[in-house]
Amino acid sequence: MVPIQSVPSSPSSLTPGDLPWIIQHREDRCTLCGRCTAVCPVQAIHLAYRRQRIPNLGIGSGNLGNSYRTFTGIRQRTEPANRCIGCGMCAMVCPNEAICPVPNPGDARVRFHMNQGGDAWKRGGRRNDTSSLLDRIIFTRISMLTDPALDAGRHEFMLNTVLGRILPPEEFLKRHASGEWIPPTREIFPFIIGSMSFGALSPNMWLGLLQGVAYLNEVLKIPVVMATGEGGCPPWILKSPFLKYIILQIASGYFGWDEIIRAIPDMQCDPAAIEIKYGQGAKPGDGGLLMWFKVSKLIARLRGVPEGVDLPSPPVHQTLYSIEESVMKMIQTMSMAWGFRVPVYPKISGSTSAKAVLNNLVRNPYAGGLLIDGVDGGTGAAYNVSMDAMGHPIASNIRECYLDLCAQGKQNEIPLFAAGGIGKNGNVAQNGMALVMLGASGVHIGKYIMQAAAGCLGNERNRCNVCNIGLCPKGITSQNPKLYRRLDPDQVAQRVVDIFLSIRTEMKKIMAPLGRSQSLPIGMSDAIGIDNKDAADRLNIRYIC
Amino acid sequence: MESPTVALPVIVRGIDENGQRIASQTFEELVQRAAGDTDSLVLETFGQHNVGGRLWKGGRPITVRVRGPVGQRLGCMGRPGTTIISEGPASDDVGYLNIGADIIILGDATNGVCNAMAQGRVMVRGSIGSRGLTMTKWNPAFERPELWVLGSTGDTFAEFNCGGIGVVCGVDPKNPENVLGYRPCVGMVGGWIFYRGKTDGSYSRSDVRETDLDDEKWQWLKERLPEFLQRIGRDDLIVQLTNREEWRLLISLTPQEKALSNTGSMPMAEFRKKIWEPALGGDPLRDLAPGLDRSPIGLIVTGDLRRKRPYWANRENAAPCTFYCPMHIPTVDRLRLIREGKMDEAYRLTLEYTPLPGSVCGAICPNLCMDQCSRQLVDRSIDVALLGRAVRDFPPPETKPPIGKRVAIVGGGPAGMTAAWHLAKAGIEAHIFEREDHLGGKLAQVIPWDRLPRATWEAEISRFLAMPNIHVHFGVSITRESFQQLKDEYEYVIVAVGAHETRRIPFPGSERVIPALDFLKSVKSPSPMPVGKRVVVIGAGNVGCDVACEAYRHGAESVILLDIQKPLAFGKEKAAAEAMGAVFRWPVTTREVTEDGVVLADGEIIPADTVFISIGDIPALDFLPETVETVRGWIRTDEVGRTTDAKIFAVGDVERPGLATNAMGAGMQSAEFIASTLKGIPWKPFAKKVIDRKTLTMEHYCPLPSKGTTPEAEAERCLSCGSCRDCHLCETICPTGAISRRELEIGGYEYVSDDEKCIACGFCADTCPCGIWTMRPLA
Repeated sequence: MVPIQSVPSSPSSLTPGDLPWIIQHREDRCTLCGRCTAVCPVQAIHLAYRRQRIPNLGIGSGNLGNSYRTFTGIRQRTEPANRCIGCGMCAMVCPNEAICPVPNPGDARVRFHMNQGGDAWKRGGRRNDTSSLLDRIIFTRISMLTDPALDAGRHEFMLNTVLGRILPPEEFLKRHASGEWIPPTREIFPFIIGSMSFGALSPNMWLGLLQGVAYLNEVLKIPVVMATGEGGCPPWILKSPFLKYIILQIASGYFGWDEIIRAIPDMQCDPAAIEIKYGQGAKPGDGGLLMWFKVSKLIARLRGVPEGVDLPSPPVHQTLYSIEESVMKMIQTMSMAWGFRVPVYPKISGSTSAKAVLNNLVRNPYAGGLLIDGVDGGTGAAYNVSMDAMGHPIASNIRECYLDLCAQGKQNEIPLFAAGGIGKNGNVAQNGMALVMLGASGVHIGKYIMQAAAGCLGNERNRCNVCNIGLCPKGITSQNPKLYRRLDPDQVAQRVVDIFLSIRTEMKKIMAPLGRSQSLPIGMSDAIGIDNKDAADRLNIRYIC
Repeated sequence: MESPTVALPVIVRGIDENGQRIASQTFEELVQRAAGDTDSLVLETFGQHNVGGRLWKGGRPITVRVRGPVGQRLGCMGRPGTTIISEGPASDDVGYLNIGADIIILGDATNGVCNAMAQGRVMVRGSIGSRGLTMTKWNPAFERPELWVLGSTGDTFAEFNCGGIGVVCGVDPKNPENVLGYRPCVGMVGGWIFYRGKTDGSYSRSDVRETDLDDEKWQWLKERLPEFLQRIGRDDLIVQLTNREEWRLLISLTPQEKALSNTGSMPMAEFRKKIWEPALGGDPLRDLAPGLDRSPIGLIVTGDLRRKRPYWANRENAAPCTFYCPMHIPTVDRLRLIREGKMDEAYRLTLEYTPLPGSVCGAICPNLCMDQCSRQLVDRSIDVALLGRAVRDFPPPETKPPIGKRVAIVGGGPAGMTAAWHLAKAGIEAHIFEREDHLGGKLAQVIPWDRLPRATWEAEISRFLAMPNIHVHFGVSITRESFQQLKDEYEYVIVAVGAHETRRIPFPGSERVIPALDFLKSVKSPSPMPVGKRVVVIGAGNVGCDVACEAYRHGAESVILLDIQKPLAFGKEKAAAEAMGAVFRWPVTTREVTEDGVVLADGEIIPADTVFISIGDIPALDFLPETVETVRGWIRTDEVGRTTDAKIFAVGDVERPGLATNAMGAGMQSAEFIASTLKGIPWKPFAKKVIDRKTLTMEHYCPLPSKGTTPEAEAERCLSCGSCRDCHLCETICPTGAISRRELEIGGYEYVSDDEKCIACGFCADTCPCGIWTMRPLA
């Protein structure tokens, strides 16, 4: 017999088939070692006991009745809070390949129930859109006995770019001769580790990235820089020679700036640049929030805030009301902080209003560039709708800004930097160089770095993507030492080195056939094409088929 | 004998008789033709290209001297046995695709010497231009190709060299500061280069390494140098060039060596120790987070690195049976004691709570305790009535010595009896003042004997009366005055008079209606009331059902129960009434009662000879002082039964109508509170939470076809919610052997988890049938 038992059902009652990831568990392989349930970041799985009724139905056997068999298995929970996120850590620790999550090919109805308690669903990570226009741009102008044949492996290439305001030659010479102020510039590698804060990232991740960057500069002489994001910078880093590889970010939350200002007199060198964040591609027009559980003692100390409180960065700077005022207040303040020796540039979300910002910057002698972060940018946390449906793709945004500069003859003066979805499918060098040829002086990469340098499990198919809840199974975005100690900073640093060496190689492989070795092919749009006529027209590049 | 023919060299001129340069194509034809007849050619070239190669002479050696301006690709596709001597400098790509010729340049050579050469030698008396020895090959079936240069090389020397040997002697170099030019050896995968003299060190370190000559290499060089010098006519330099110390070697790295140095010359750990940490002065977070351990850990951890930890919460949560019983009788413990063979202890434990286990638990109680019994999720709830009946004849529990305090209890029903029982156990004299001549209140007066077996009742009343510290005063009707007297003479007075006045509705003819209570009391008395053939009961609760049953037993032929709402009757009472034929009608409202019967609001008349009313009873509280507040007829009490007069408590139906078990629970709670207060110890209410059913694992149990018929069988069926049943399953399932069972010195046992072995998989919690192991966050 089986018990007569009423089963309650609520509007959010779900079955495993309603979840985005389904745990496949093979009882015949399972050794019941407990590792999968121990490692699961969201307690999605547990050891389940099941009882099977085996009726003996032999007529005339004289032995009618039921017997029962109890068996075990690893089963998943169906509550939305404990849904499997597909990270696959269970499979990673399983000694017998007995368990793994598989994406639900059907109807993952849990998405209708993620917004519980009146709270719209928030998540971290990616936009869950695998398409990439940048992936479709290819380099069509190959030197075939025409231009000087270059060999990526043999020839030497000038791969670096310039960050900061570049004066026209006559103006430069005039100022140089008269001893007037010349805007600061930096020669940097055009792939920049984009802003990810100490706080959004774990200490081991953040320091691992910087260690890799330092290695690239100090040992390999590749001038890679990284941006801090809004979360300050540890004082001993600020006072170290590695500060010159760091772009410090200031944003609407102003976190960590007391420590930065306090450290200025003790700095051995200037930072690479100052980035003023007005917007972010992943959640344009929305602010940031470091959830209270990520505000550890360490983070509180670094950011100059109390421990265990939510840290909002408002969508807008509280006291800025116009571009002019913004430029006046923030760019001038930041420039003056380091005696006008450090380039200062704003970062904005990709937007149809980007050109208006750019044109204002062109007129501002202190503006050192403009970074536009497109819709495919990643984030530690954002509202679902902000991430998926807000923003502007980077390609056409950067292109129209660049063409606008060309029309003014200023394209060599104020560098544009592009971000948002570069390398989202792994084609980081190709994506970046496509943007360079569309007019970017360089690109900022974030998600690619997380995946390639630290093994971030997230993808564009909603795998993992729980950066926002402090449970990152790889220890990348957690402030819990029990999680972030899973990440060895030396290994992160080594991967950073590997990544940039590979990017450098691929850049040469792209540049050599173009016959270009002495400068980055910024705006060299005659060298690229796309197999979509509308996109080709919009980007003013060659349509190919 | 004929002397051998001394073949005179055949001369081929590169200018025709008109002084015009002959095209390379024509010149080649002339050379090929001439070579067929001789072993020695002299070519007076005038810039013709591709000269000296393609001399396929069946292995016969041939010497080609080239005079005059030499064109490009001298010795292109040269063949073993061919010796080509340029008497002056040579142009680009000397030895291009050479597969064996010796090519001697008695001057400088320009760019591309030995490009794509596979075998053979090129010897240059001067220096060479850029890209010498590039793409040079070596087929292992043949000798390595060699390039000998007396002077120096131009830039990008030996790019992609794939096995060729270069010798650069550095004599009168073009640039004395750099005999190998800028960035030699890029992409070089095989071969080596001897050189002598200064360089700028720009050779490709990812492809070759620089080293001294070992003995084998020096031997090779020393043996071959004289021939080179002799062939270029510089024997004079032999001494100068055989100083081993002056020679260096660039040798290609093997793929294995390259792999080791792939990401730069410095391992990351070394970088951290030598550059990173010194520049930061130590841990960069030492000021922000002193002592923070960030060292790497694995994914599966033990001890404090776990994020959760199992906790053995034995008996910290209440089983549903214990929680939902108004008296909180720990049935789960009773059953455990029975399983442990401690039958007496189990029965004694029951009597610690209730004086009437057989009469109430075992007979009239609807057993709220079993409503939520977890065993229902396997098959059926435990038969707790069986357990109650088993205690019928067990002696009363031990009492504490009297402490010289007295409490008066007005009313000897279930609430008063239970209060007295608990006071007596605590050593407090309990004086019951009962109006009737027997104890039990409504249980004795109203409940039909077929539902409350008389033998059980009488046995339990006897046990009650045998309890020390209990004094019962029968036939005492309490008045306002006598109540005040009790209040003055006793520490506390507990009012437990129940509700014995029938509620009535003042419809016309209500005087014709008989209160249910009166009828039920009468049928248990020696002189039962007469009943008509047609009976109507107004009020279809369980009391109404009892009335219906008794009416049938006393002569009624039909009983109709009326109610203005869905009847509240349930359980055994309802089933019994229905079984005897009672009909329920609802919703109906009584307008009046006439001699014909009950007239409903819509005018329908239900014929009736006898009409009973059973819509509840209210207490009669005339004797209470003004200090005791009432609310709509019931006494207002707090959570321990205290009235608005601190010396007066009220328990049972005087507070609110309820079941006997509710009244007994209230009596017990007030008695315990009073006992604690009198003894000056803090009163602890029952505070356990009911166990979360999801923590139990019922799949360990097999369904049985029926309930057990003995306490032992029921004890086996018990799931032991929240109370360890010592099954060892946790110990068995634990994958790391962390859990063990330990005997305690004070008796009993516990299960413990070894933090150093536990990986916090949660299997113990997932397995525990009783919901004891729980996973708690570990900060």
